[in-house]
Amino acid sequence: MIGKTKLFKKLEAILANSPADATEIVYIGEEAGLTRYANSMIHQNVYEDNRRIIFRAVVGKRIGVASTNSLVDADLKKALLDAIEIAKAQRENRHFPGLPKPAKYRKLNSFDKATAQCSPMKRAQIVKRVINEATKKGLTMAGALATSGSEIAVLNSNGLRGYHPTSSASINMIAMSETSSGYASVMARRVADIDAVALAKVAVEKCLKSRNPISLEPGDYEVILEPAAISEMFEWLNFIGFGSKGFQQGTSFLANRIGRKLTSEKVTIFDSAYERGVVGVPFDFEGVPRKKVMLIDKGVAKGVVWDRLSAVKGKTKSTGHALTASDSAEGAISLNLSMAGGKVPRAKMISAVKRGILVTRFHYINGYIDTRNSVLTGMTRDGTFLIENGEIVAGIKNLRFTDSFLRAFKSTIAVSKETELMSSWWSSVGCISVPTVHLGSFKFSGKTDF
Amino acid sequence: MKDNLRTCVAWLRSKGATYADCRYVRREVESIQVTDQTVESLSRNLDVGVGIRVLANGAWGFAATAELTPASLRKTANLALQIAKASAIVKHEPVRLAEQEVFVDRYRSHCAIDPFTVSSDKKTGLLLQVTELLKKSKLVKTAEASMEFYKTNKIFVSTEWAEIEQEIIESGSGYQAVAFDGKEAQTRSYPNSHRGGVATLGWEYIESLDLLSHAERVREEAVALLKALPCPEQETSVIICAPQMALQVHESCGHPIELDRVLGTEISLAGGSFLTVDKLGAFQYGSKIVNLTADATLPGGLGTFGYDDEGVKAQRTPIVEQGRFVGYLTSRETAPVINQRSNGTMRADGFNRMPLIRMTNVSLEPGEWKLDELIKDTRSGVFLDLNKSWSIDDKRLNFQFGVEAAWEIKNGKLGQMYKNTVYTGMTPRFWNSCDAICDRDHWVVWGTPNCGKGEPMQTAHTGHGAAPSRFRNVKVGVKS
Repeated sequence: MIGKTKLFKKLEAILANSPADATEIVYIGEEAGLTRYANSMIHQNVYEDNRRIIFRAVVGKRIGVASTNSLVDADLKKALLDAIEIAKAQRENRHFPGLPKPAKYRKLNSFDKATAQCSPMKRAQIVKRVINEATKKGLTMAGALATSGSEIAVLNSNGLRGYHPTSSASINMIAMSETSSGYASVMARRVADIDAVALAKVAVEKCLKSRNPISLEPGDYEVILEPAAISEMFEWLNFIGFGSKGFQQGTSFLANRIGRKLTSEKVTIFDSAYERGVVGVPFDFEGVPRKKVMLIDKGVAKGVVWDRLSAVKGKTKSTGHALTASDSAEGAISLNLSMAGGKVPRAKMISAVKRGILVTRFHYINGYIDTRNSVLTGMTRDGTFLIENGEIVAGIKNLRFTDSFLRAFKSTIAVSKETELMSSWWSSVGCISVPTVHLGSFKFSGKTDF
Repeated sequence: MKDNLRTCVAWLRSKGATYADCRYVRREVESIQVTDQTVESLSRNLDVGVGIRVLANGAWGFAATAELTPASLRKTANLALQIAKASAIVKHEPVRLAEQEVFVDRYRSHCAIDPFTVSSDKKTGLLLQVTELLKKSKLVKTAEASMEFYKTNKIFVSTEWAEIEQEIIESGSGYQAVAFDGKEAQTRSYPNSHRGGVATLGWEYIESLDLLSHAERVREEAVALLKALPCPEQETSVIICAPQMALQVHESCGHPIELDRVLGTEISLAGGSFLTVDKLGAFQYGSKIVNLTADATLPGGLGTFGYDDEGVKAQRTPIVEQGRFVGYLTSRETAPVINQRSNGTMRADGFNRMPLIRMTNVSLEPGEWKLDELIKDTRSGVFLDLNKSWSIDDKRLNFQFGVEAAWEIKNGKLGQMYKNTVYTGMTPRFWNSCDAICDRDHWVVWGTPNCGKGEPMQTAHTGHGAAPSRFRNVKVGVKS
């Protein structure tokens, strides 16, 4: 971690001497450690200190982008000159609204030094305790424990300055027997907030309960989807539905449907970096303050997230969800997706199911089948159970689901009070926060052999 | 830089490392994205750094830095050593590496025209011509075209005295038309979906794609899909186009033959494999006409290189011979488990990632059919063209793929078009139902530039040679 003062001093010097009409510099740096274990031993243990410095040079309405991971002054200057050279060779982008003006950002406490500097030995000791929980029950354990500290800075020639540090810790684990497996995971800002042993007990219990699973025929079932399963669905819904690009192309399931009731009123989905406990940044990668954006409010389609470029085309305003200039063609995307908690304590949800399936997590979901109808497919994994008369009665061999999110979530029976923070591929700058959800109808289209 | 790496491994040797390697990687990427008549993004990215892998006390440690000073490299080497020692507190047996011939060599991939010497104007000009053609229908809401070029320079130095320099150039391009009538949205692409075609070649590969000549067809098919019916749910014969066959090979053959997956070390993210070691040499993976190979020497393949990131020379390995499963993708650590030497598949996604077993060019070898004869020979079935969605279970058995477009086959002729078509199956059952593969005239090595694996996530470039192929009794058109 370089720190705000030192980082700005270095980048200001480059910015001040830019010959472009307007210039933006985005810095994304990360120091990250990850300890991976399988077969109850650590087999991969890695650390990286890396960063990306992205220059967006504007010449008239022409834009050039170049980036480097070197902080050597000569390399930074070269990247800037490359961006200018690209801009000069570019066509004009008539939609480009110019770089944003300075803005005030909400204060967010999302950095913990102890997490950012977590040592490999500390991670190894946590992993050892996790593995011990499995060993005690004659099981093996696999998973990963990641800790990181990140810094994001945005500077532009309009005087905009944004800096924000974050830390993040996440762990996932799979307890395994000959015939079954059980999963648990969580993420937090502080590694100290993760109770790895308690999670290991959950994974072990799921593994033991799903031993010798039965084979169930595919069909339409009542389901309890736990937070890991919901968050995996949400990653895809984010790609296909909640961003500006799909909305403008017409491929999003929200396009031309704003204001319509699409799911049960128990479903509220939004993007917010400001919810308690979430890992987030108060501005986007062009320095625009992030707004809280309602995507689906009590079942009604409300909107999508926007960056400045897509907002011009969409005749609206940025919500502060731009990606970096090199990824701007992807449009805006949500980095802090949340589903609001409901009224039912999670502990009471299973008892409300007469006959149904509890899904711990999904594997390899894909949402490109029919994006207009939000059709997703994927496999269950690491803890799928049959519920009868309010009790788990058996583990089930994994099933494939193929269903429309909108159709399935129309049948929402209950949403848990409790929500959990789940990691995603964008976890160094965001996260997903979701409850457990009870659906009355969910379509499984196939099954597998284990 | 090579001297700095030599100093680094010498220091690690002096500190008692059983083994260590240092990889310097410099990767330059140019990306262009055109939407309609706007160049949305034109960017160049440069990533440079050193990754240091250390085996000490019988366990691995890895650390990477973008600071290339001798002091930073020493600090990073020491950190990798300390990480290895931390790993060792949770280990069983010490890591054992397969014997390996030591190479001091240089390799450069084939490239007739360096794409980084071609002007941005020429590149964007071509893409804008494509999108102009695609937008000639009012129903095409969005036309997108892109190009990507990669130049990777590596220096590998190990405590075993290996010293290998490589330069690999890759080029890719593709486009898609998104048609939207206010209710329905449909997409058609060329030459492949998602990112188009990518190869370990230079600008000459872009020229070979002949981008302009397919734009009209792509546009008209995207529009036609708006009116197409969904494919009826049925069990029938399918003929799968070559690019989709490439993905089918990638997902249902390439991943399950990765020996690290088989041994359980990828369980936490990607999963395991149904191809357990007891099946090696004994399992009928597919029908007698199914032959699969892993070949890192294939000209132009996106999984082609000189040496892997453990310094093992690129090679060709049989995977499935006449339907029988005979080979895995291996590393120096995993190969001894099956009493073999590494077949050179360890690759890392940049300097800051530890190498993993990755597919090279895992290909379905060509058969004997011509595509028109194969269609004529099919009384009833569905022709499936270009991937749209993909999903497979964590042991690589139950898969479901969706395609951009499908056509009914009736009495040996292509009939009506279908939209949103999916097909599903179980891997061995599916491959054992393969009864026809088209010949070398139809065989193309398709690049997959987005293969995800590992934690932290790594994206690999892999290649897959494939030709259109026919499978019997396949379930298509799953209702949602």
